Amino acid sequence: MPASPAMSVPIISPGEMQLLLSRAGLVLNPGQVADLVLAWRQVAGLIAAMQHDRPLADDMAYVFRLPPPASAVVSMPPVRPAAKPKVKAKAKVKAKAKAAPKRRSAKAAPRKTARRGR
Amino acid sequence: MTGHTPPFLTIAEASRLIATKRLSPVELVKELLARIETKDPQLNAFLLVTERHALAAARAAERAVMAGRHTPLLGIPVAYKDIYETAGVRTTAQSRILADNVPKQDAETVRRLHAAGAVMLGKLATHEFAIGGPAFDLPWPPARNPWDTRRFTGGSSSGSGAAVAAWLALGALGSDTGGSIRLPAAYCGIAGMKPTPGLVSRRGVIPLAPSLDTAGPMAWTAQDCAILLDALAGHDPADPASVPGPQISYAAAIAAPLRGLRVGLLRRFYEHDVPASPEMLQMMSRAAATLRSLGCRVEDATLPSVQEYNAVGRVIISSESYALHEATLKQRLSDYSRVFRVRVLAGALIRAADYIAAQRRRTDLIAAAAKTFERFDVLVTAPTAGTPPLLTEQRPDDGFARPLLTTVANVAAVPSMVVCGGFTPAGLPLGVEIMGPAWSDATVLRVGHHFEQAMGTRRRRPEL
Repeated sequence: MPASPAMSVPIISPGEMQLLLSRAGLVLNPGQVADLVLAWRQVAGLIAAMQHDRPLADDMAYVFRLPPPASAVVSMPPVRPAAKPKVKAKAKVKAKAKAAPKRRSAKAAPRKTARRGR
Repeated sequence: MTGHTPPFLTIAEASRLIATKRLSPVELVKELLARIETKDPQLNAFLLVTERHALAAARAAERAVMAGRHTPLLGIPVAYKDIYETAGVRTTAQSRILADNVPKQDAETVRRLHAAGAVMLGKLATHEFAIGGPAFDLPWPPARNPWDTRRFTGGSSSGSGAAVAAWLALGALGSDTGGSIRLPAAYCGIAGMKPTPGLVSRRGVIPLAPSLDTAGPMAWTAQDCAILLDALAGHDPADPASVPGPQISYAAAIAAPLRGLRVGLLRRFYEHDVPASPEMLQMMSRAAATLRSLGCRVEDATLPSVQEYNAVGRVIISSESYALHEATLKQRLSDYSRVFRVRVLAGALIRAADYIAAQRRRTDLIAAAAKTFERFDVLVTAPTAGTPPLLTEQRPDDGFARPLLTTVANVAAVPSMVVCGGFTPAGLPLGVEIMGPAWSDATVLRVGHHFEQAMGTRRRRPEL
Protein backbone atom coordinates (compact mmCIF):
# COMPACT_ATOMS: atom_id res chain seq x y z
CA MET A 1 0.00 0.00 0.00
CA PRO A 2 1.41 3.41 -0.86
CA ALA A 3 2.22 5.55 2.15
CA SER A 4 0.44 8.56 0.72
CA PRO A 5 -2.29 9.89 3.00
CA ALA A 6 -4.50 10.49 -0.02
CA MET A 7 -6.69 7.41 -0.33
CA SER A 8 -8.32 6.41 -3.62
CA VAL A 9 -12.08 6.47 -3.06
CA PRO A 10 -14.12 4.12 -5.28
CA ILE A 11 -17.47 5.29 -6.58
CA ILE A 12 -20.69 3.35 -6.07
CA SER A 13 -23.91 3.69 -8.08
CA PRO A 14 -27.31 4.15 -6.38
CA GLY A 15 -28.36 0.71 -7.71
CA GLU A 16 -25.27 -0.97 -6.25
CA MET A 17 -25.83 0.70 -2.89
CA GLN A 18 -29.48 -0.36 -2.88
CA LEU A 19 -28.41 -3.94 -3.54
CA LEU A 20 -25.90 -3.87 -0.67
CA LEU A 21 -28.51 -2.34 1.64
CA SER A 22 -31.16 -4.92 0.84
CA ARG A 23 -28.65 -7.75 1.38
CA ALA A 24 -27.78 -6.24 4.76
CA GLY A 25 -31.48 -5.89 5.62
CA LEU A 26 -31.18 -2.15 6.22
CA VAL A 27 -34.00 0.31 5.53
CA LEU A 28 -32.63 3.86 5.37
CA ASN A 29 -34.07 7.23 4.38
CA PRO A 30 -32.38 9.19 1.55
CA GLY A 31 -30.29 11.29 3.95
CA GLN A 32 -29.04 8.21 5.75
CA VAL A 33 -28.21 6.56 2.41
CA ALA A 34 -26.22 9.64 1.39
CA ASP A 35 -24.26 9.46 4.66
CA LEU A 36 -23.63 5.76 4.16
CA VAL A 37 -22.39 6.29 0.61
CA LEU A 38 -19.90 8.82 1.99
CA ALA A 39 -18.65 6.35 4.61
CA TRP A 40 -18.76 3.27 2.39
CA ARG A 41 -16.60 4.87 -0.28
CA GLN A 42 -13.95 5.47 2.40
CA VAL A 43 -14.23 1.93 3.75
CA ALA A 44 -14.12 0.41 0.26
CA GLY A 45 -10.92 2.39 -0.33
CA LEU A 46 -9.41 0.97 2.87
CA ILE A 47 -10.40 -2.58 1.91
CA ALA A 48 -8.93 -2.17 -1.56
CA ALA A 49 -5.69 -0.88 -0.07
CA MET A 50 -5.35 -3.82 2.29
CA GLN A 51 -3.07 -6.65 1.24
CA HIS A 52 -5.23 -9.71 0.51
CA ASP A 53 -2.77 -12.14 -1.10
CA ARG A 54 -1.56 -14.79 1.31
CA PRO A 55 -0.55 -18.42 0.98
CA LEU A 56 -3.53 -20.67 1.57
CA ALA A 57 -1.65 -22.60 4.24
CA ASP A 58 -1.19 -19.54 6.45
CA ASP A 59 -2.81 -19.74 9.86
CA MET A 60 -6.07 -17.95 10.38
CA ALA A 61 -5.92 -15.06 12.78
CA TYR A 62 -8.28 -16.60 15.29
CA VAL A 63 -7.01 -18.56 18.24
CA PHE A 64 -9.11 -20.73 20.46
CA ARG A 65 -7.62 -21.40 23.86
CA LEU A 66 -8.80 -24.84 24.82
CA PRO A 67 -7.94 -26.29 28.22
CA PRO A 68 -4.91 -28.61 28.09
CA PRO A 69 -5.69 -32.33 27.77
CA ALA A 70 -4.54 -33.11 31.32
CA SER A 71 -7.18 -30.87 32.88
CA ALA A 72 -9.82 -32.35 30.58
CA VAL A 73 -9.06 -35.84 32.00
CA VAL A 74 -9.26 -34.55 35.56
CA SER A 75 -12.60 -32.91 34.94
CA MET A 76 -14.14 -36.03 33.37
CA PRO A 77 -16.88 -37.62 35.48
CA PRO A 78 -15.75 -40.80 37.28
CA VAL A 79 -16.58 -44.02 35.46
CA ARG A 80 -19.35 -45.86 37.25
CA PRO A 81 -18.39 -49.53 37.83
CA ALA A 82 -20.60 -52.06 36.03
CA ALA A 83 -23.35 -53.49 38.21
CA LYS A 84 -22.50 -56.94 39.47
CA PRO A 85 -25.16 -59.66 39.27
CA LYS A 86 -26.49 -60.70 42.65
CA VAL A 87 -25.33 -64.20 43.53
CA LYS A 88 -25.77 -66.38 46.56
CA ALA A 89 -22.88 -66.58 49.03
CA LYS A 90 -21.83 -70.08 47.94
CA ALA A 91 -21.91 -69.22 44.27
CA LYS A 92 -19.80 -66.09 45.03
CA VAL A 93 -17.04 -68.19 46.59
CA LYS A 94 -17.11 -70.51 43.62
CA ALA A 95 -16.91 -67.64 41.20
CA LYS A 96 -13.92 -66.10 43.09
CA ALA A 97 -12.09 -69.39 43.05
CA LYS A 98 -12.59 -69.66 39.34
CA ALA A 99 -11.61 -66.09 38.71
CA ALA A 100 -8.33 -66.22 40.63
CA PRO A 101 -6.23 -68.04 38.08
CA LYS A 102 -7.45 -65.74 35.34
CA ARG A 103 -5.92 -62.68 37.07
CA ARG A 104 -2.55 -64.34 36.91
CA SER A 105 -2.93 -65.33 33.31
CA ALA A 106 -0.87 -63.74 30.60
CA LYS A 107 -4.00 -62.29 29.01
CA ALA A 108 -4.50 -59.86 31.91
CA ALA A 109 -1.16 -58.11 31.44
CA PRO A 110 -1.93 -56.00 28.39
CA ARG A 111 -5.13 -54.71 30.00
CA LYS A 112 -3.15 -53.46 33.05
CA THR A 113 -0.66 -51.67 30.83
CA ALA A 114 -3.46 -50.06 28.92
CA ARG A 115 -4.98 -48.72 32.12
CA ARG A 116 -1.69 -47.18 33.24
CA GLY A 117 -1.30 -45.50 29.93
CA ARG A 118 -4.57 -43.61 30.19
CA MET B 1 -6.74 16.29 59.23
CA THR B 2 -6.32 19.70 57.68
CA GLY B 3 -9.16 21.31 55.77
CA HIS B 4 -6.82 23.07 53.34
CA THR B 5 -6.47 21.45 49.90
CA PRO B 6 -3.52 22.66 47.83
CA PRO B 7 -4.55 23.29 44.22
CA PHE B 8 -3.87 20.91 41.33
CA LEU B 9 -2.59 17.97 43.35
CA THR B 10 -1.55 14.88 41.42
CA ILE B 11 -2.50 11.40 42.62
CA ALA B 12 1.04 10.86 43.94
CA GLU B 13 1.02 14.17 45.85
CA ALA B 14 -2.48 13.71 47.28
CA SER B 15 -1.66 10.15 48.30
CA ARG B 16 1.40 11.29 50.25
CA LEU B 17 -0.58 14.03 52.01
CA ILE B 18 -3.45 11.69 52.87
CA ALA B 19 -1.07 9.02 54.18
CA THR B 20 0.56 11.54 56.52
CA LYS B 21 -2.88 12.86 57.58
CA ARG B 22 -2.13 16.32 56.18
CA LEU B 23 -5.01 16.10 53.68
CA SER B 24 -8.56 15.00 54.35
CA PRO B 25 -10.14 12.82 51.63
CA VAL B 26 -13.48 14.41 52.50
CA GLU B 27 -12.13 17.94 52.01
CA LEU B 28 -10.43 16.93 48.78
CA VAL B 29 -13.67 15.46 47.41
CA LYS B 30 -15.65 18.52 48.50
CA GLU B 31 -13.12 20.76 46.76
CA LEU B 32 -13.44 18.80 43.53
CA LEU B 33 -17.26 18.64 43.69
CA ALA B 34 -17.33 22.43 44.07
CA ARG B 35 -14.93 22.77 41.16
CA ILE B 36 -17.06 20.47 39.00
CA GLU B 37 -20.09 22.60 39.80
CA THR B 38 -18.41 25.84 38.75
CA LYS B 39 -16.13 24.71 35.90
CA ASP B 40 -17.85 21.77 34.24
CA PRO B 41 -20.64 23.80 32.61
CA GLN B 42 -17.88 25.14 30.31
CA LEU B 43 -16.54 21.65 29.58
CA ASN B 44 -19.39 19.11 29.69
CA ALA B 45 -16.91 16.53 30.96
CA PHE B 46 -19.38 14.91 33.38
CA LEU B 47 -22.58 13.14 32.33
CA LEU B 48 -23.40 12.37 35.94
CA VAL B 49 -21.91 13.57 39.24
CA THR B 50 -22.36 11.00 42.01
CA GLU B 51 -22.02 13.45 44.89
CA ARG B 52 -23.67 11.32 47.57
CA HIS B 53 -21.62 8.24 46.65
CA ALA B 54 -18.45 10.33 46.54
CA LEU B 55 -18.92 11.87 49.97
CA ALA B 56 -19.83 8.52 51.55
CA ALA B 57 -16.76 6.87 49.99
CA ALA B 58 -14.53 9.78 51.04
CA ARG B 59 -15.75 9.50 54.65
CA ALA B 60 -15.05 5.75 54.58
CA ALA B 61 -11.56 6.47 53.21
CA GLU B 62 -10.97 9.04 55.95
CA ARG B 63 -11.99 6.54 58.63
CA ALA B 64 -9.61 4.00 57.09
CA VAL B 65 -6.75 6.52 57.13
CA MET B 66 -7.43 7.37 60.76
CA ALA B 67 -7.43 3.64 61.51
CA GLY B 68 -3.92 3.44 60.09
CA ARG B 69 -4.68 1.90 56.69
CA HIS B 70 -2.85 3.19 53.65
CA THR B 71 -2.90 2.28 50.00
CA PRO B 72 -1.76 4.61 47.21
CA LEU B 73 -5.33 5.19 45.99
CA LEU B 74 -7.03 5.52 49.36
CA GLY B 75 -9.26 8.59 49.21
CA ILE B 76 -8.21 9.53 45.66
CA PRO B 77 -11.11 10.98 43.61
CA VAL B 78 -11.49 9.46 40.14
CA ALA B 79 -14.18 9.29 37.46
CA TYR B 80 -15.11 6.81 34.75
CA LYS B 81 -15.85 7.08 31.08
CA ASP B 82 -19.54 6.27 30.82
CA ILE B 83 -18.95 2.90 29.19
CA TYR B 84 -17.66 1.46 32.50
CA GLU B 85 -20.48 -0.29 34.29
CA THR B 86 -21.09 0.95 37.81
CA ALA B 87 -23.39 -0.93 40.16
CA GLY B 88 -26.56 1.05 40.82
CA VAL B 89 -25.27 4.06 38.87
CA ARG B 90 -26.57 4.89 35.38
CA THR B 91 -24.21 3.88 32.56
CA THR B 92 -25.33 5.28 29.21
CA ALA B 93 -22.38 5.11 26.79
CA GLN B 94 -23.67 8.63 26.00
CA SER B 95 -26.45 7.04 23.96
CA ARG B 96 -30.23 7.15 24.00
CA ILE B 97 -30.08 3.38 23.58
CA LEU B 98 -28.80 2.97 27.15
CA ALA B 99 -30.32 6.13 28.64
CA ASP B 100 -31.95 4.15 31.47
CA ASN B 101 -29.30 1.46 31.89
CA VAL B 102 -28.44 0.87 35.55
CA PRO B 103 -25.97 -2.03 35.85
CA LYS B 104 -26.13 -4.45 38.75
CA GLN B 105 -22.37 -4.94 38.94
CA ASP B 106 -19.23 -2.84 38.71
CA ALA B 107 -16.82 -3.40 35.85
CA GLU B 108 -13.83 -5.38 37.13
CA THR B 109 -11.63 -2.30 36.76
CA VAL B 110 -14.06 -0.18 38.78
CA ARG B 111 -14.23 -2.90 41.43
CA ARG B 112 -10.44 -2.93 41.63
CA LEU B 113 -10.16 0.83 42.03
CA HIS B 114 -12.85 0.89 44.71
CA ALA B 115 -11.17 -2.00 46.53
CA ALA B 116 -7.96 0.07 46.48
CA GLY B 117 -9.82 2.95 48.15
CA ALA B 118 -10.48 5.25 45.16
CA VAL B 119 -13.53 7.50 45.34
CA MET B 120 -15.90 7.73 42.34
CA LEU B 121 -16.92 11.32 41.50
CA GLY B 122 -19.13 10.42 38.54
CA LYS B 123 -19.44 9.29 34.97
CA LEU B 124 -17.66 11.03 32.11
CA ALA B 125 -18.54 12.00 28.57
CA THR B 126 -17.59 9.78 25.67
CA HIS B 127 -18.38 9.62 22.00
CA GLU B 128 -21.51 7.49 21.62
CA PHE B 129 -20.52 3.89 22.39
CA ALA B 130 -16.87 5.01 22.24
CA ILE B 131 -16.95 5.62 18.48
CA GLY B 132 -17.79 8.47 16.24
CA GLY B 133 -16.98 11.99 17.17
CA PRO B 134 -18.48 14.95 18.94
CA ALA B 135 -22.25 14.73 18.37
CA PHE B 136 -24.72 17.58 18.80
CA ASP B 137 -27.85 15.46 18.29
CA LEU B 138 -27.65 13.52 21.56
CA PRO B 139 -29.21 14.39 24.94
CA TRP B 140 -25.75 15.34 26.26
CA PRO B 141 -23.44 17.89 24.61
CA PRO B 142 -19.90 16.89 23.60
CA ALA B 143 -17.02 17.60 25.98
CA ARG B 144 -14.89 20.67 25.34
CA ASN B 145 -11.15 21.15 25.60
CA PRO B 146 -10.08 22.98 28.81
CA TRP B 147 -7.16 24.68 27.00
CA ASP B 148 -9.61 26.30 24.57
CA THR B 149 -13.27 25.44 24.96
CA ARG B 150 -13.94 25.99 21.25
CA ARG B 151 -11.72 23.03 20.54
CA PHE B 152 -12.09 19.26 20.39
CA THR B 153 -10.89 17.15 23.32
CA GLY B 154 -10.05 14.21 21.11
CA GLY B 155 -11.95 11.03 21.66
CA SER B 156 -13.55 8.90 22.46
CA SER B 157 -12.53 9.26 26.13
CA SER B 158 -13.36 12.93 25.76
CA GLY B 159 -14.72 13.60 29.26
CA SER B 160 -11.80 11.74 30.83
CA GLY B 161 -9.30 13.98 29.03
CA ALA B 162 -11.16 17.19 29.88
CA ALA B 163 -11.84 16.28 33.54
CA VAL B 164 -8.24 15.35 34.32
CA ALA B 165 -6.76 18.37 32.52
CA ALA B 166 -9.14 20.77 34.30
CA TRP B 167 -8.50 19.12 37.70
CA LEU B 168 -12.09 17.99 38.08
CA ALA B 169 -10.77 14.49 38.86
CA LEU B 170 -7.27 13.29 39.75
CA GLY B 171 -7.53 10.25 37.53
CA ALA B 172 -9.93 8.65 35.10
CA LEU B 173 -10.56 5.48 33.18
CA GLY B 174 -10.70 5.53 29.40
CA SER B 175 -10.85 2.91 26.70
CA ASP B 176 -8.75 2.67 23.56
CA THR B 177 -9.69 0.85 20.35
CA GLY B 178 -7.93 3.09 17.81
CA GLY B 179 -6.50 5.84 20.03
CA SER B 180 -9.39 6.77 22.33
CA ILE B 181 -7.23 7.15 25.45
CA ARG B 182 -4.17 8.64 23.78
CA LEU B 183 -5.86 11.17 21.48
CA PRO B 184 -7.64 12.99 24.35
CA ALA B 185 -4.44 12.71 26.36
CA ALA B 186 -2.57 14.48 23.53
CA TYR B 187 -5.19 17.15 22.89
CA CYS B 188 -5.86 17.81 26.60
CA GLY B 189 -2.19 17.81 27.63
CA ILE B 190 -2.34 14.89 30.07
CA ALA B 191 -0.97 11.33 30.28
CA GLY B 192 -2.93 8.35 29.00
CA MET B 193 -1.88 4.72 28.86
CA LYS B 194 -3.15 1.96 26.59
CA PRO B 195 -1.77 -1.16 28.25
CA THR B 196 -0.78 -4.42 26.57
CA PRO B 197 -4.01 -6.22 25.58
CA GLY B 198 -4.96 -8.64 28.34
CA LEU B 199 -3.19 -6.78 31.16
CA VAL B 200 -6.34 -4.93 32.29
CA SER B 201 -9.73 -6.63 32.39
CA ARG B 202 -12.45 -5.39 30.05
CA ARG B 203 -15.28 -7.16 31.86
CA GLY B 204 -18.09 -4.69 32.39
CA VAL B 205 -16.72 -2.20 29.85
CA ILE B 206 -19.24 -1.77 27.01
CA PRO B 207 -17.39 -3.11 23.97
CA LEU B 208 -16.78 -1.41 20.64
CA ALA B 209 -14.55 -3.85 18.73
CA PRO B 210 -13.43 -6.67 21.04
CA SER B 211 -10.39 -7.57 18.89
CA LEU B 212 -8.90 -4.16 19.60
CA ASP B 213 -10.59 -2.79 22.76
CA THR B 214 -8.29 -1.97 25.68
CA ALA B 215 -9.11 -0.37 29.04
CA GLY B 216 -6.59 1.92 30.69
CA PRO B 217 -5.80 4.87 32.98
CA MET B 218 -5.65 8.60 32.27
CA ALA B 219 -4.09 11.09 34.69
CA TRP B 220 -2.03 14.27 34.85
CA THR B 221 1.31 12.42 34.90
CA ALA B 222 2.82 9.11 33.80
CA GLN B 223 3.55 8.44 37.47
CA ASP B 224 -0.16 8.73 38.28
CA CYS B 225 -0.98 6.36 35.41
CA ALA B 226 1.50 3.88 36.92
CA ILE B 227 -0.19 4.16 40.33
CA LEU B 228 -3.58 3.51 38.74
CA LEU B 229 -2.20 0.63 36.67
CA ASP B 230 -0.88 -1.05 39.81
CA ALA B 231 -4.49 -1.38 40.96
CA LEU B 232 -5.98 -2.13 37.54
CA ALA B 233 -3.61 -4.81 36.24
CA GLY B 234 -4.27 -8.42 37.06
CA HIS B 235 -5.76 -11.59 35.67
CA ASP B 236 -9.54 -11.77 35.40
CA PRO B 237 -10.75 -15.26 34.43
CA ALA B 238 -14.10 -13.76 33.39
CA ASP B 239 -12.45 -11.78 30.56
CA PRO B 240 -11.35 -14.36 27.97
CA ALA B 241 -8.59 -12.04 26.74
CA SER B 242 -7.19 -11.45 30.23
CA VAL B 243 -3.86 -13.06 31.01
CA PRO B 244 -1.64 -12.99 34.09
CA GLY B 245 0.79 -10.19 33.32
CA PRO B 246 4.10 -9.45 35.00
CA GLN B 247 3.87 -9.40 38.79
CA ILE B 248 5.50 -6.00 39.29
CA SER B 249 4.78 -2.58 40.72
CA TYR B 250 4.57 -0.13 37.85
CA ALA B 251 4.81 2.82 40.22
CA ALA B 252 8.08 1.46 41.60
CA ALA B 253 9.47 0.49 38.19
CA ILE B 254 9.32 3.98 36.70
CA ALA B 255 12.05 5.36 38.94
CA ALA B 256 14.92 3.54 37.17
CA PRO B 257 16.94 5.91 34.96
CA LEU B 258 16.79 5.70 31.17
CA ARG B 259 20.53 5.49 30.51
CA GLY B 260 21.32 3.04 27.72
CA LEU B 261 17.71 2.63 26.56
CA ARG B 262 17.35 2.10 22.80
CA VAL B 263 14.78 4.56 21.42
CA GLY B 264 13.49 4.29 17.85
CA LEU B 265 12.15 7.49 16.33
CA LEU B 266 9.30 6.80 13.87
CA ARG B 267 10.16 9.93 11.93
CA ARG B 268 8.50 8.78 8.66
CA PHE B 269 5.16 8.45 10.48
CA TYR B 270 4.86 12.15 11.27
CA GLU B 271 6.98 13.60 8.47
CA HIS B 272 5.37 11.66 5.61
CA ASP B 273 2.50 9.27 6.47
CA VAL B 274 0.55 11.84 8.52
CA PRO B 275 2.45 15.09 7.95
CA ALA B 276 2.70 17.02 11.19
CA SER B 277 2.48 20.78 11.69
CA PRO B 278 5.73 22.78 11.96
CA GLU B 279 5.08 23.19 15.72
CA MET B 280 4.73 19.44 16.16
CA LEU B 281 7.88 18.78 14.12
CA GLN B 282 9.83 21.21 16.31
CA MET B 283 8.49 19.59 19.45
CA MET B 284 9.46 16.11 18.19
CA SER B 285 13.01 17.38 17.56
CA ARG B 286 13.12 18.67 21.13
CA ALA B 287 11.72 15.36 22.36
CA ALA B 288 14.50 13.42 20.62
CA ALA B 289 17.14 15.76 22.04
CA THR B 290 15.65 15.42 25.53
CA LEU B 291 15.69 11.63 25.33
CA ARG B 292 19.37 11.78 24.27
CA SER B 293 20.12 14.04 27.20
CA LEU B 294 18.55 11.42 29.47
CA GLY B 295 21.09 8.88 28.21
CA CYS B 296 18.97 7.14 25.58
CA ARG B 297 20.42 6.04 22.26
CA VAL B 298 18.02 7.57 19.74
CA GLU B 299 17.96 6.32 16.14
CA ASP B 300 15.43 6.33 13.31
CA ALA B 301 13.14 3.32 13.18
CA THR B 302 10.58 2.14 10.64
CA LEU B 303 7.32 0.20 10.65
CA PRO B 304 4.82 -0.44 7.85
CA SER B 305 2.88 2.71 7.01
CA VAL B 306 0.30 4.31 9.30
CA GLN B 307 -2.17 3.84 6.42
CA GLU B 308 -1.65 0.07 6.47
CA TYR B 309 -2.29 -0.17 10.20
CA ASN B 310 -5.33 2.08 9.82
CA ALA B 311 -6.89 0.14 6.93
CA VAL B 312 -6.77 -3.04 9.02
CA GLY B 313 -7.93 -1.30 12.18
CA ARG B 314 -10.84 0.52 10.51
CA VAL B 315 -12.14 -2.61 8.76
CA ILE B 316 -12.04 -4.56 12.04
CA ILE B 317 -13.67 -1.74 14.04
CA SER B 318 -16.44 -1.19 11.48
CA SER B 319 -17.21 -4.91 11.15
CA GLU B 320 -17.21 -5.69 14.85
CA SER B 321 -19.04 -2.57 15.99
CA TYR B 322 -21.77 -3.13 13.42
CA ALA B 323 -22.09 -6.77 14.46
CA LEU B 324 -22.54 -5.70 18.10
CA HIS B 325 -25.16 -3.06 17.26
CA GLU B 326 -26.95 -4.67 14.30
CA ALA B 327 -30.11 -5.73 16.09
CA THR B 328 -30.52 -2.38 17.85
CA LEU B 329 -29.64 -0.38 14.74
CA LYS B 330 -32.42 -2.12 12.82
CA GLN B 331 -34.97 -1.32 15.51
CA ARG B 332 -33.87 2.14 16.72
CA LEU B 333 -31.75 3.63 13.95
CA SER B 334 -32.85 7.21 14.52
CA ASP B 335 -32.03 7.03 18.24
CA TYR B 336 -28.30 6.87 17.42
CA SER B 337 -26.39 10.05 16.59
CA ARG B 338 -25.68 10.81 12.95
CA VAL B 339 -21.94 10.50 13.47
CA PHE B 340 -22.37 7.03 15.01
CA ARG B 341 -24.50 5.92 12.06
CA VAL B 342 -21.97 7.22 9.55
CA ARG B 343 -19.08 5.41 11.24
CA VAL B 344 -20.81 2.13 12.09
CA LEU B 345 -23.38 1.41 9.35
CA ALA B 346 -20.66 0.89 6.76
CA GLY B 347 -19.76 -2.23 8.72
CA ALA B 348 -23.00 -3.80 7.44
CA LEU B 349 -21.56 -3.80 3.95
CA ILE B 350 -18.14 -5.30 4.69
CA ARG B 351 -17.85 -8.86 3.38
CA ALA B 352 -16.77 -11.62 5.75
CA ALA B 353 -13.82 -12.34 3.44
CA ASP B 354 -12.58 -8.76 3.84
CA TYR B 355 -12.96 -8.86 7.62
CA ILE B 356 -10.94 -12.10 7.72
CA ALA B 357 -8.37 -10.55 5.38
CA ALA B 358 -8.01 -7.68 7.85
CA GLN B 359 -7.50 -10.07 10.76
CA ARG B 360 -4.92 -12.05 8.80
CA ARG B 361 -3.08 -8.92 7.68
CA ARG B 362 -3.03 -7.86 11.32
CA THR B 363 -0.86 -10.85 12.17
CA ASP B 364 1.73 -9.58 9.65
CA LEU B 365 1.62 -6.10 11.12
CA ILE B 366 2.01 -7.46 14.66
CA ALA B 367 5.00 -9.46 13.46
CA ALA B 368 6.51 -6.40 11.75
CA ALA B 369 6.28 -4.40 14.98
CA ALA B 370 7.77 -7.26 17.00
CA LYS B 371 10.69 -7.41 14.55
CA THR B 372 11.37 -3.69 14.98
CA PHE B 373 11.25 -4.09 18.76
CA GLU B 374 14.17 -6.53 18.53
CA ARG B 375 16.32 -3.44 17.89
CA PHE B 376 14.55 -0.95 20.15
CA ASP B 377 13.21 -0.85 23.70
CA VAL B 378 10.64 1.79 22.80
CA LEU B 379 9.42 3.59 19.68
CA VAL B 380 8.51 7.27 19.78
CA THR B 381 6.24 9.22 17.47
CA ALA B 382 3.85 12.16 17.37
CA PRO B 383 0.35 10.96 18.30
CA THR B 384 -1.41 13.65 16.26
CA ALA B 385 -0.52 15.90 13.36
CA GLY B 386 -0.82 18.97 15.56
CA THR B 387 -3.01 20.83 18.01
CA PRO B 388 -6.68 20.06 18.77
CA PRO B 389 -8.96 21.16 15.93
CA LEU B 390 -12.05 23.27 16.44
CA LEU B 391 -15.17 21.28 17.35
CA THR B 392 -16.90 22.68 14.29
CA GLU B 393 -14.14 21.29 12.03
CA GLN B 394 -15.00 17.67 12.86
CA ARG B 395 -16.52 15.64 10.00
CA PRO B 396 -18.66 12.54 10.57
CA ASP B 397 -16.42 10.44 8.30
CA ASP B 398 -13.14 11.64 9.85
CA GLY B 399 -12.45 8.22 11.32
CA PHE B 400 -12.10 6.79 7.83
CA ALA B 401 -10.73 9.69 5.86
CA ARG B 402 -7.86 10.67 8.15
CA PRO B 403 -5.51 7.92 9.36
CA LEU B 404 -4.71 7.99 13.05
CA LEU B 405 -1.12 7.62 14.24
CA THR B 406 -2.40 6.05 17.46
CA THR B 407 -4.13 3.13 15.71
CA VAL B 408 -0.73 1.56 14.98
CA ALA B 409 -0.37 0.42 18.62
CA ASN B 410 -3.89 -1.05 18.72
CA VAL B 411 -3.36 -3.13 15.59
CA ALA B 412 0.19 -4.09 16.68
CA ALA B 413 -1.17 -5.15 20.12
CA VAL B 414 1.52 -3.27 22.05
CA PRO B 415 1.42 -0.94 25.06
CA SER B 416 1.49 2.74 24.24
CA MET B 417 1.17 5.97 26.13
CA VAL B 418 0.91 9.67 25.37
CA VAL B 419 2.45 12.30 27.59
CA CYS B 420 2.55 16.07 27.18
CA GLY B 421 5.63 17.16 25.25
CA GLY B 422 5.07 20.90 25.21
CA PHE B 423 2.84 23.76 24.18
CA THR B 424 2.42 25.92 21.10
CA PRO B 425 2.89 29.69 21.41
CA ALA B 426 -0.93 29.87 21.54
CA GLY B 427 -0.87 27.69 24.65
CA LEU B 428 -2.24 24.48 23.16
CA PRO B 429 -0.71 21.16 24.23
CA LEU B 430 1.28 18.82 22.00
CA GLY B 431 1.64 15.15 22.88
CA VAL B 432 4.36 12.56 22.42
CA GLU B 433 3.57 8.87 21.97
CA ILE B 434 5.76 6.10 23.38
CA MET B 435 5.23 2.46 22.38
CA GLY B 436 6.96 -0.66 23.64
CA PRO B 437 6.83 -4.37 22.84
CA ALA B 438 4.09 -6.45 24.47
CA TRP B 439 4.37 -6.55 28.29
CA SER B 440 6.85 -3.67 28.43
CA ASP B 441 4.22 -1.42 30.02
CA ALA B 442 6.61 -0.56 32.85
CA THR B 443 9.30 0.61 30.41
CA VAL B 444 6.78 2.73 28.48
CA LEU B 445 5.63 4.38 31.72
CA ARG B 446 9.24 4.86 32.83
CA VAL B 447 10.13 6.69 29.61
CA GLY B 448 6.97 8.79 29.90
CA HIS B 449 7.76 9.69 33.50
CA HIS B 450 11.39 10.78 32.92
CA PHE B 451 10.48 12.54 29.69
CA GLU B 452 7.70 14.56 31.38
CA GLN B 453 10.05 15.60 34.17
CA ALA B 454 12.80 16.60 31.76
CA MET B 455 10.42 18.60 29.55
CA GLY B 456 8.90 20.40 32.56
CA THR B 457 5.41 20.44 31.09
CA ARG B 458 3.56 19.44 34.27
CA ARG B 459 3.67 22.85 35.91
CA ARG B 460 1.19 24.45 33.52
CA ARG B 461 -2.59 24.00 33.82
CA PRO B 462 -5.45 25.30 31.67
CA GLU B 463 -7.03 28.51 32.89
CA LEU B 464 -10.79 28.29 33.18
